[in-house]
Amino acid sequence: MIDYTDMELVDMSNSGNEHAFENLVERHYLTVYSLSYKWCRIREDAEEITQEVFIKLTRKLNSFTSKSSFRTWLYRITINTAKDYHRKNATRRTYESAFADDQSHNNPGNLPLDSIAARQVYAAMDKLPDKQKAALMLVAAEGMNHREAADVLGCSETTISWRIHQARKKIKKTCNGWQDYEKR
Amino acid sequence: MKNDDLKKILNSLPIPEPAKEAKDKAIGAALAEFHRQSEKKKKNVKGSSWMERLMGKNRKGGPIMTRPIAIATAGIAAGCIALAITLSPVFVSEKSRFVKPRAVQVADRPELDETPRSPSAVGNIESELKDSAKEIKKEKVGSRPAPLLHPNDEFILEEAVVHTPPPAMRREVKVNGRGMPTMALSAAKFPMEPGVRPPVDQTYVGRDKFDTVNANTVKLVSEAPVSTFSIDVDTASYAFVRRSLNNGHLPPKNAVRVEELINYFDYDYPLPEDRSVPFKPTVTVFPTPWNPDTKLLHIGIKGFDITPAQKPKSNLVFLIDVSGSMQSQDKLPLLKNSFRMLVNSLEADDTVAIVVYAGAAGTVLEPTKVSEKGKILAALDRLRAGGSTAGGEGINMAYSLAESGMDPDGINRVILATDGDFNVGIHDPEVLEDFVSRKRKSGVYLSVLGFGQGNYNDALMQKLAQNGNGNAAYIDSLNEARKVLVDEASGTMFNIANDVKIQIEFNPAMVAEYRLIGYETRMLNREDFKNDAVDAGDIGSGHTVTAIYEITPTSSNAKLIDDLRYGDREKATPVKRSKTAEYAYLKVRYKLPGESSSREIETPIDKRNEYAKISAAPAESRFASAVAAFGQILRGDSYVREFDYDDVVGLARGAKGDDPFGYRGEFINLIRLAETSAAMGDR
Repeated sequence: MIDYTDMELVDMSNSGNEHAFENLVERHYLTVYSLSYKWCRIREDAEEITQEVFIKLTRKLNSFTSKSSFRTWLYRITINTAKDYHRKNATRRTYESAFADDQSHNNPGNLPLDSIAARQVYAAMDKLPDKQKAALMLVAAEGMNHREAADVLGCSETTISWRIHQARKKIKKTCNGWQDYEKR
Repeated sequence: MKNDDLKKILNSLPIPEPAKEAKDKAIGAALAEFHRQSEKKKKNVKGSSWMERLMGKNRKGGPIMTRPIAIATAGIAAGCIALAITLSPVFVSEKSRFVKPRAVQVADRPELDETPRSPSAVGNIESELKDSAKEIKKEKVGSRPAPLLHPNDEFILEEAVVHTPPPAMRREVKVNGRGMPTMALSAAKFPMEPGVRPPVDQTYVGRDKFDTVNANTVKLVSEAPVSTFSIDVDTASYAFVRRSLNNGHLPPKNAVRVEELINYFDYDYPLPEDRSVPFKPTVTVFPTPWNPDTKLLHIGIKGFDITPAQKPKSNLVFLIDVSGSMQSQDKLPLLKNSFRMLVNSLEADDTVAIVVYAGAAGTVLEPTKVSEKGKILAALDRLRAGGSTAGGEGINMAYSLAESGMDPDGINRVILATDGDFNVGIHDPEVLEDFVSRKRKSGVYLSVLGFGQGNYNDALMQKLAQNGNGNAAYIDSLNEARKVLVDEASGTMFNIANDVKIQIEFNPAMVAEYRLIGYETRMLNREDFKNDAVDAGDIGSGHTVTAIYEITPTSSNAKLIDDLRYGDREKATPVKRSKTAEYAYLKVRYKLPGESSSREIETPIDKRNEYAKISAAPAESRFASAVAAFGQILRGDSYVREFDYDDVVGLARGAKGDDPFGYRGEFINLIRLAETSAAMGDR
């Protein structure tokens, strides 16, 4: 089986090849979904964000240039979509209720400790300004280096570094649970 | 805290699997958007068509600029030459801007083979394509291929909608044993991850196999005065020719069966006054457009048509399963062809709507009159198998569409086509049966068509169809589809004569030579004519069949065959005086449906059938002769001599007539396409 690169698939899609396009969507569905889930931690919301991302992507596919990598571009759309979604639904939902997603929520004792800590840290991240949250998300949760994160967010590396620094400071302050965890 | 710790914590978040339905929904939504965007793109098309641009022509036909055409020979191996033709730079007149020089693959069609390929062959092609894909990628350097544009003509929609090119295509010109070049495109097998459905495409790739057909030769009346053949109402060849021309290349010679091209069109031949005979042959003799020294003998047969008053109006809703499992060739592609055939058999006044169920569940086509056939066929063509069957309101939607266009006196029917996946929105089979039988009482019936193997749920299909007052049928081939959809299910078509054979005896006093155009594969022996055990073609209600002979009168000096030096013409039996004015004697044999012994219709062909000028001949005959000329030019047959595509256009234009479905207009466009392809030296 041949593995086309993303760029090749984008080119084929742009010339109308539906299969190439479908392949492209399938290939990246999980990546987008995972990032969206980390952003909001509600499965249904993550699914909706993901769907929205691919619709946006379809509309913009024509304007995608190979200046940036496809992955970078996809991350940018995802972050922006997630931000918008969050904003739109902020009145409806608060992400602190994210535990509701987990069935073991009623019995937190069954959750592995690191999972609890993770949720606490993510909840703390929700309180950050979007820009800081995004920077930390890309670097700490998605494992990007500062250069890549800067590409996605359209700012300089130093800005990323600064945002991450700020983010970590705030999380430290907010998230006692996490500090407790660290001490253990 | 350390960075690594934070990462570790963040990564320890358990991420639940996304719901499969959500994923399907997302992919479906993206695909729907994709189509919307493609439509938009198509609408924005201005300026010259893709083909014209390649040819350096603008709309007015003049050259835009001269550009170098570099032809690179990619490899020569054992009589197989692969040509990659690149044209650059390409000027695009669209919105008055230049597009960067880029490589254009003339044959960059992604179509998949419709014939099964051996695994090793697939492997070879794939590795070859992978290489070429890389190569092309290098060439592109950041520029992207312009969307493949077709002229906006409606007919293009029918066959050539969004056939999309992956860059990895090579054109191979193969030279077969006889030294005749035949064209083959290596198909790009789409890359697939495990579990990803193989792509389907309808388009011709040139791997199709055709039996070699040599045109009927010129026969000497003194040696073989009798010509016998079976009628042929197939039209597949025309569709095939159209497909390849729309794709920008000439069809392989053997794919062109002239009689199928001619019979693709409906001709307005007179019907018999007396209903006891199912059809009446109409014969005309007129000068051959491509040869002033010969004449064409044109035989047209139109089967008895049920009068429109007798024909109930059809209000059909196709409910089509487009789930991933419908991907294989014997499913969705066959289904599309089958429905295409059904649509072609409908009347202009009938309506068709299309609902699909799968990832992209929904109405694909609102109820549309068959007079807008292009729209219906385009919608059919756009169907793709994709996503898993996500249910949805498929069946409800289909029934409500059928009810919205309900004609109490007509045929109101939902035709469900599936490979056995009945996830149509109602999951419980019993509820589904109830639903169907309730709807039956409202007047909407259900027919179920099964396709493919492996997933086939025969019992449920039968039950549903019975409850829906319809029939369940299994479609394994286009023939079966024709039988079920055209001849039976539509209720508008039925055979009126079976085993129809034609025999012509030429009068040696009037005709020196003759040649039957087409019907090469339908020739019968002289003695088969009266032998009722010999099978032949059937005529359905309203079908027309046309046969054309090119005859050389004895008075003509354009005879191709010289007289024998030692032959003795005096010995030939003298023709009776009363019959000397006859060109030939036509006999048509047929069986009425259900009968096993044949009947015969006879008629002499004489001066009364003759028109001295082409322009005086009936339009139907002229149009048929234009199609015949076109087929012969496409085949490269030598008999048409200097007659070229422009001449065919002129002839066809003058005989276009009312053309209610636009077929003849489409034909004229096809001639243009053929001319373009031929000018590119492409076969």
